[in-house]
Amino acid sequence: MRSRLLAGLLAVALTATGAGCGDDDGRIHLTVSTFGEFGYQPLYREYERLNPEIRITERVTRTEDHHKNLAAHLATKTGAADVEAIEEGWISQFTNAPNRFVDFNEYGGPAIKDRWPTWKWAAGSAADGRVIGLGTDVGGMAMCYRKDLLARAGLPTERTAVGELWPTWADYIATGLRFRQRVPDVAFFDGPSAIYRGILGQQRVGLYDGKDNVVVRTNPAVKRAWDLSAQAVSAGLSARATAFSADWTAGLAQGLFATIACPSWLTNYIAQQAASAAGQWDIATVPGRGGNWGGSWLSVPRQTEHPAEATALAIWLTAPEQQARIFESTSNFPSAVDLYDDPVILERTSAFFGNAPVGRIFADSVTALVPQYQGPRSGDINARIIDGLTRIEQGRDSPDESWRKVLREADALS
Amino acid sequence: MRRRSRFHRLDRRASPYLYVLPFFLLFAVFGAFPLFYTVWVSLFDWDFLAETHTWIGLANYTRLFGDYTFWNAVLNTVQILVLATVPQLVLALLLAYALNHRLRMPTTWRMSALLPNITSVVAVTIIFGQLFGRDYGLINYLLGLLDVGKIDWQAGKASSQFAIAVMIVWRWTGYTALIYLAAMQAVPRDLYAAAALDGASRFQQFRKITVPAIRPTIVFTVIVATIAGMQVLAEPLLFGGGSVTGGSDRQFQTLSLYLYEVGFTRWEFGYASAAAWIMFALIVVAALVNYLLISRLRRHS
Amino acid sequence: MTVRDLRAVRRTRRRQPAQTATPARPRAATKHPRHALRKIRVQRPSRLVYLVLLAVAFFSVFPFYYSVVVASQDNAVLSQVPPPLVPGGNLLANIERAFGSVPMTRALINSFVVAGSITISVVFFSTLAGFAFAKLRFRGRQALLLVIIATMMVPTQVGIIPLYLLMAKFQLVGKLPAVIVPSMVSGFGVFFMTQYLRTAIPTTLIEAARADGCSTAKILWHVVRPIAQPAAAVLATLTFMSAWNDFFWPLVALNPDDPTVQVALSTLSGSFVSDFSLSLAGAAIATVPLLVVFALLGRKIISGIMHGTPR
Repeated sequence: MRSRLLAGLLAVALTATGAGCGDDDGRIHLTVSTFGEFGYQPLYREYERLNPEIRITERVTRTEDHHKNLAAHLATKTGAADVEAIEEGWISQFTNAPNRFVDFNEYGGPAIKDRWPTWKWAAGSAADGRVIGLGTDVGGMAMCYRKDLLARAGLPTERTAVGELWPTWADYIATGLRFRQRVPDVAFFDGPSAIYRGILGQQRVGLYDGKDNVVVRTNPAVKRAWDLSAQAVSAGLSARATAFSADWTAGLAQGLFATIACPSWLTNYIAQQAASAAGQWDIATVPGRGGNWGGSWLSVPRQTEHPAEATALAIWLTAPEQQARIFESTSNFPSAVDLYDDPVILERTSAFFGNAPVGRIFADSVTALVPQYQGPRSGDINARIIDGLTRIEQGRDSPDESWRKVLREADALS
Repeated sequence: MRRRSRFHRLDRRASPYLYVLPFFLLFAVFGAFPLFYTVWVSLFDWDFLAETHTWIGLANYTRLFGDYTFWNAVLNTVQILVLATVPQLVLALLLAYALNHRLRMPTTWRMSALLPNITSVVAVTIIFGQLFGRDYGLINYLLGLLDVGKIDWQAGKASSQFAIAVMIVWRWTGYTALIYLAAMQAVPRDLYAAAALDGASRFQQFRKITVPAIRPTIVFTVIVATIAGMQVLAEPLLFGGGSVTGGSDRQFQTLSLYLYEVGFTRWEFGYASAAAWIMFALIVVAALVNYLLISRLRRHS
Repeated sequence: MTVRDLRAVRRTRRRQPAQTATPARPRAATKHPRHALRKIRVQRPSRLVYLVLLAVAFFSVFPFYYSVVVASQDNAVLSQVPPPLVPGGNLLANIERAFGSVPMTRALINSFVVAGSITISVVFFSTLAGFAFAKLRFRGRQALLLVIIATMMVPTQVGIIPLYLLMAKFQLVGKLPAVIVPSMVSGFGVFFMTQYLRTAIPTTLIEAARADGCSTAKILWHVVRPIAQPAAAVLATLTFMSAWNDFFWPLVALNPDDPTVQVALSTLSGSFVSDFSLSLAGAAIATVPLLVVFALLGRKIISGIMHGTPR
């Protein structure tokens, strides 16, 4: 009796654990592992139509978990997908381990190199020139704002005029103070994350110098981003909502805050989550005009069983035609250089954001962008800095005290 | 015939060892070996993602001793331990006393006491996370009714550790109370009878007879609660919404969470192993200290 | 081998000094007047006691109730003040969302497989070893038993990194055996069965079986197995619950796309920060199986905790 039960359980266990796609129906199964919203679903179906011997499944995980798992899969040499997406906060960690990836140079890399800006190509390459990542999108940076809330404060609501309210971040903070004076029950921006990323993304040199040394202590640009953000937060302009939390999402719809620094991919998120507030949001230029937050690459881990097919898929997904279509569906701004003069991109407007010319706005911000080198632990260090700003928000530390702690954390991560 | 008896002798000699072998074998591989291998790993600069590991001797330990984040985690762990264990054991004693009467529907009361213990730690933390929410939590709402004002439970050191302690107390008091109850039921009735006839009140009986009589059990629960309390992980991890630092200021990061952060998000296995071993040493020390404390206390009363 | 197992050891160790039936009564009857005796014997609990128990029951149950309330609302209602106190109508929708956001079905299956496998294995090996310690005589028996008690004092998290390295070497990271195998034996289980079998199996029975020429294995099958069943049932219940609730090691060893229920739940609450209607719907899903077990086997669980034996 017991042995039969045991056998039955073993059978269940085997089917439960052993489930995996085998190439048993004669087709090649590829898995693509992403995070957030890459907009690839319809593209997979088309690729399968063009290549009937291929079947594609996607795995989507939370960004932090995704990269943590990727690291574990690479180290244990098992479990990675055939195509893995990597975000800018982690790309350097993986370009430092080129042995774990397939080199795109061996699969037609040099021929397509010119699709991307030099910095995007370089960021996906290892020090010895091996190319492990092909660029997908680029963040760009703009300032999304609520027309109704600015109107309540007696501020202009038309986007060019709004853009002129804040040519610099100092002006932005000053506007914020004016806003709060007149509308004390609404915050000026969402939380420390977006504003800090916005300012930092405009600097030529960020957390790392070009040689993977952490320069948080010595780089005045980082301190500047910190000081401005800390100032904004100390002035009570923040709604203290954690980015991507349910409160933050609710805040987008309910008008908890008047502005939020938004890269292109975030605009799609706002449009979805704040659907009930359609017509209230608009986009203006960001203080400092350029900037970038986000952007990813597609890589192919070496442990894949189908390197040729996987690289072909990655190359197709990152081709300019596909990037243009993704921009239409998800607002992920392309990284393909040719598209920056393409009228299809430039003419694009967003109905949700009051027919704002999003194509032009983000194309401008991307061309004005100063490419910034990201080091292996950029993601973690930024998280610690944002923690530091949160501490100021919560009243736990003064800005100076908090900065000292940030430096200690940065040292531990170097 | 002879063959059978030889087999029999062999069977009687060998089979006990055969039967206990699986336990020791599996424990040796998955319990003892990791414990010692941790020491080995801690002597290297062992990045999980790197291809090679370099020997650095005790450098991890010296770095650990100067690392304020580690000692912060130690302090938090001890604070949460005290905050959670003392009320838990006291309340468990009182609850056991209450259960140790001739009640109507005794099983129902016992089951209601045990109910918190059967849920998953993850679920409990999420529920209490909502109750302790800053803007929309029920507790802050009640505090508002009492004119106390909202507390940002997650943000403060004392408040967050208090919230976590509440979760632990809620979860374990009933279980511990049942253990005390069992021990109390073994106390001979005539002791109580004699004391009652001597005029002792119920509470005096409790203090002078019951508690000393179940002292070994109390000691045991203290030790076990100490060991468990030093390993708290799920509560701090999930109370902070998945943040591995235990709050923006590491205000509720425990040793286990620190271990998780260093080992499984930064992949610094060498450093994390050193931390794990120090944690083990601290657990032993804490258990010993608590054991001595409790024995000392008994002697005074 | 969790610490909570450790807690239960104590009562089994201290075998209750004889259920002192009431020998005092006849003697006391001659010494003291009857009405005084009545005061002692009929310990009717005061109202205060019932009040305390009621309060305990309320605080025990309220978080469960409230989690159902929250899980059945939508987030718009939850961002209002005052917070809701009665369930809304959104429970099914939120549960659907939970199933859609994380691989919850797979997680439930995985948890059943893991907890079931561990339970079967622990009960099996504990009965074997328990019988050996309880009834068989062999050299080193006392010492080995002490070693088993010592193993229960070892905190599991200390060895978690080498355990992970071990699993990585065997390519088991992210697979269920990584979570099952390390827990296949339990010191507490051995202890539990030893204590029970010591008193439950009369030694004479074993001697008689031996006289009949039974090998030890035969004794195990014909004598021990039936007698051990009640205790095995209790051990199985406790082990299952403990394995179902395990968090740290599955978190480290498994992936979010092939998790156990606890890991899926933590991914859910971490990915959708402060989306409580969703997280608590997930928490409800994760807890219901245990509640069912508790409703059906609550008495057994309580007696297992209290007495180390089924009553």
